[in-house]
Amino acid sequence: MTLKGGTSHACAACKYQRRKCTSECQLAPYFPANKPEMFRNAHKLFGVRNIVKILEKLDGPQRQEAMHSIIWQANIRDLYPVQGCYGYICRLQYQIRQAEEELHAIHAQLNMYRQHHHHHHGLDAGTAAEDMVPSSQLELGMAPPASNNNNAALTLFGHNPAQQPYAAAGVMAQLPSPVTPDQQQQLSYPISSNPVGGYNTGYFDATKDDNNNNNNNVAAVNSFWLQHTYGMNNNNNAVTNSSSSMGALQSQLLAAQPLGGIQEEVVQDYDEMHPFFDTIDDRQSYIDSKEAYDTSSEESLKDTTQSLEQHVVAEDELKSAAACFSLTSVN
Amino acid sequence: MASAAAGSSSSSTAYSNSPCAACKFLRRKCLPDCIFAPYFPPEEPQKFANVHKIFGASNVSKLLNEVLPHQREDAVNSLAYEAEARLKDPVYGCVGAISVLQRQVIRLQKELDATNAHLIRFAYTNNNNTSSSSDDPIVRVWRF
Repeated sequence: MTLKGGTSHACAACKYQRRKCTSECQLAPYFPANKPEMFRNAHKLFGVRNIVKILEKLDGPQRQEAMHSIIWQANIRDLYPVQGCYGYICRLQYQIRQAEEELHAIHAQLNMYRQHHHHHHGLDAGTAAEDMVPSSQLELGMAPPASNNNNAALTLFGHNPAQQPYAAAGVMAQLPSPVTPDQQQQLSYPISSNPVGGYNTGYFDATKDDNNNNNNNVAAVNSFWLQHTYGMNNNNNAVTNSSSSMGALQSQLLAAQPLGGIQEEVVQDYDEMHPFFDTIDDRQSYIDSKEAYDTSSEESLKDTTQSLEQHVVAEDELKSAAACFSLTSVN
Repeated sequence: MASAAAGSSSSSTAYSNSPCAACKFLRRKCLPDCIFAPYFPPEEPQKFANVHKIFGASNVSKLLNEVLPHQREDAVNSLAYEAEARLKDPVYGCVGAISVLQRQVIRLQKELDATNAHLIRFAYTNNNNTSSSSDDPIVRVWRF
């Protein structure tokens, strides 16, 4: 007689394979019965035998981590059958490159402001020293003293070669050593068991790969695969669907765009300011004495007018004098 | 006649005189419609060896049959990349690289936030130190 209320508790792996799930089942801890799709994806990509082979080479704590990564990788492959995790890596690399370029542009803008600031405060002899203090706080990546990001920019632009993500070959050559379990717990696992809901990069569209996504993703993969040993079609089209790829970074990028766009304006204005400096008293900054500048320019104009008028008057006097002379000379 | 037959057979296999890396590895005859042949050339035996070791030939074959023909090369190359990553790092595979990159993205986000805040603060401070005239170039820039 069978126990209808019996606790079968067969894991998803054994359920899928329709076999009895014993206490010695190696996959039971990782594939709960209530999540059959997890095992289905893992089985589809790796196969039971290959998963077990991977697990057998590892010991206790590493097995847990390995299974998490296998499940995650399989879920990604299910979502994106063509590119899988590699496409995700390429997208991250692209985001990083975009962010670094944006950061570079903002730092250039900051430097320009700083130079402008120093220039004008340099005209005030007494305040130059004080003005240097705020500018020192604007060094690259230097947040308020309490911040821990003091070295962020240095490590950012002084690229640690081990973290250069651009070239696919570079990624392959410098795959980092595994994150320790402690580190892994500190930073959330790259994605939850449900890839779609776990991470807000914008990479994970709601739908699976379709032709459109594939075309764009192929372009993204191609642009990075060029440098990989396996080679690929030469396609230099960067990822065009930036609206779906930037995610959390996009708001920052959009916010930073106007700064880059107005850089030319600042330069032009700065250039235009140079010719005016000659008319300004050296003891007054251009900005502080804007009204004085306006006044002085008007005065210079008046002076010019007056000199012209005087010149005309002098000419008339000469003419009249000449006329008198000529009249007298006749006789 | 034997030579003619040989000639005809050679013409039918003009594209693949030698078996592909997959069929070589699996020690089977490489048929003209071999699904692996276009993507696993015999010059790259390690590529298929890695993929087979991690994923298995049958799984790869099923995966390739599920995608469109023009996508198969990309699929194979991504599988090859992931297989190589898993061989180098059996615990995390390519997911380890993703973790590193994600952390980098987060760090860059914070860096962008902080730098933007500095820029705004600096421009605001500079604006306050100057006259409020609309001809001030910095103010003018911000108004743009």
